[in-house]
Amino acid sequence: MNRKPFAALCALLSLLFASNAAVAHHSFAMFDHEHQIKVTGTVKEFRWQNPHVYIELGSTDAKGEARIWTIECANPGILNRIGWKFNMIKPEDKITVIIAPLRTGEPGALLKQVTLADGRKFGNGGPAGPPNIE
Amino acid sequence: MHHSIAKRLIRVTCAAMLATAVGSVCAQETGPLPKASAQKFDRRDFTGTWDRYPQSIDSRRDPSVVPLPTDAPPPPLKPQYQAAFDAAVKKIADANARGEPIANGYTACQPDGMPTMMMAMFPMEVLQSGKQVTIIQEAYNQVRRIYMGGQLPAVDDAEPGFWGHSVGKWDGDTLVVDTIGIKDYVRFRNAPHSAEMRIHERIRKLTPDHFENTVTVTDPVYLTAPWSWKWVYQRRPNYKMYEYVCEENREYADPVTGAQRMKTGGN
Repeated sequence: MNRKPFAALCALLSLLFASNAAVAHHSFAMFDHEHQIKVTGTVKEFRWQNPHVYIELGSTDAKGEARIWTIECANPGILNRIGWKFNMIKPEDKITVIIAPLRTGEPGALLKQVTLADGRKFGNGGPAGPPNIE
Repeated sequence: MHHSIAKRLIRVTCAAMLATAVGSVCAQETGPLPKASAQKFDRRDFTGTWDRYPQSIDSRRDPSVVPLPTDAPPPPLKPQYQAAFDAAVKKIADANARGEPIANGYTACQPDGMPTMMMAMFPMEVLQSGKQVTIIQEAYNQVRRIYMGGQLPAVDDAEPGFWGHSVGKWDGDTLVVDTIGIKDYVRFRNAPHSAEMRIHERIRKLTPDHFENTVTVTDPVYLTAPWSWKWVYQRRPNYKMYEYVCEENREYADPVTGAQRMKTGGN
């Protein structure tokens, strides 16, 4: 029996109610969730720490200029509970991220999804919300 | 076979979400769901790891097991404090709408304190002995100690803290806890309070795997009436709590505007 439509509906509901848990904790309003971008680059640093895990990602922008993105992830507890591992990202790894950039234009962002060098994809937990681009 | 059971569990979980329109992650965990049980269980034993029910971060949930708690109402503030409270709440909402959120205690790595800690942002662990109930909240490694049969200090002697001073007693199978001594800037839902605020909790098991906490805040200085709401918790079997040291937040408060900013560019 094909349950794909049902799974799709569940996924849609997940999007709709993803923000519930975050209301009291932390505002994600400084990130532009509407204009997400995809960046491929080389990991400079992966900090597995509270209150947020960070990825420093070196990349080259559309104008050919080098840029280091500071990418905020959820915390180790949330990420562990959705299948991340503390050492799954390492310096020099080539990864692709979908991020919601800071509204200020500074090179900081909230992670929406990361694709590791081996092709595995991970989200950033319920409060951060899902990607809206492929 | 196992595959089809897993699919069925996913379907049940999703159906439960549909029924209540609460939740965020669709059955990332597909283990068995706790069910209300007619079996006898120790109603005075809260030992174990728990999280909020229903929890929209990532846990299993089946909202059909016990009734859903309603959200906390606004604080019943005295009229002279209402305008300032409304203005503060509006300022936060407006800042979020502009995309310039105001930094808060979390930005500075401050823990929730009471009563917000019992909101259980992340899983919590309860340790229980005859003389003490200890509650550990994973977020910010928060610990509160409830001394059974203890006496609260006088308000003037209650050194203010994030979790204050708590004493507990049994009313039948209900654990009744009173707490005083919360720092004035440690607030739930931005509600102001005085040193005379008292947090009264009535904690009781609903099933072997669920318990509720009816929280009632009184404050003769700020409130016209008791402010009450309910939180419900669900057991997370075999969960091992993660440590949480708020080590380095690259978000910070702008020293001029107070807005939440972020250190960027490899700094």
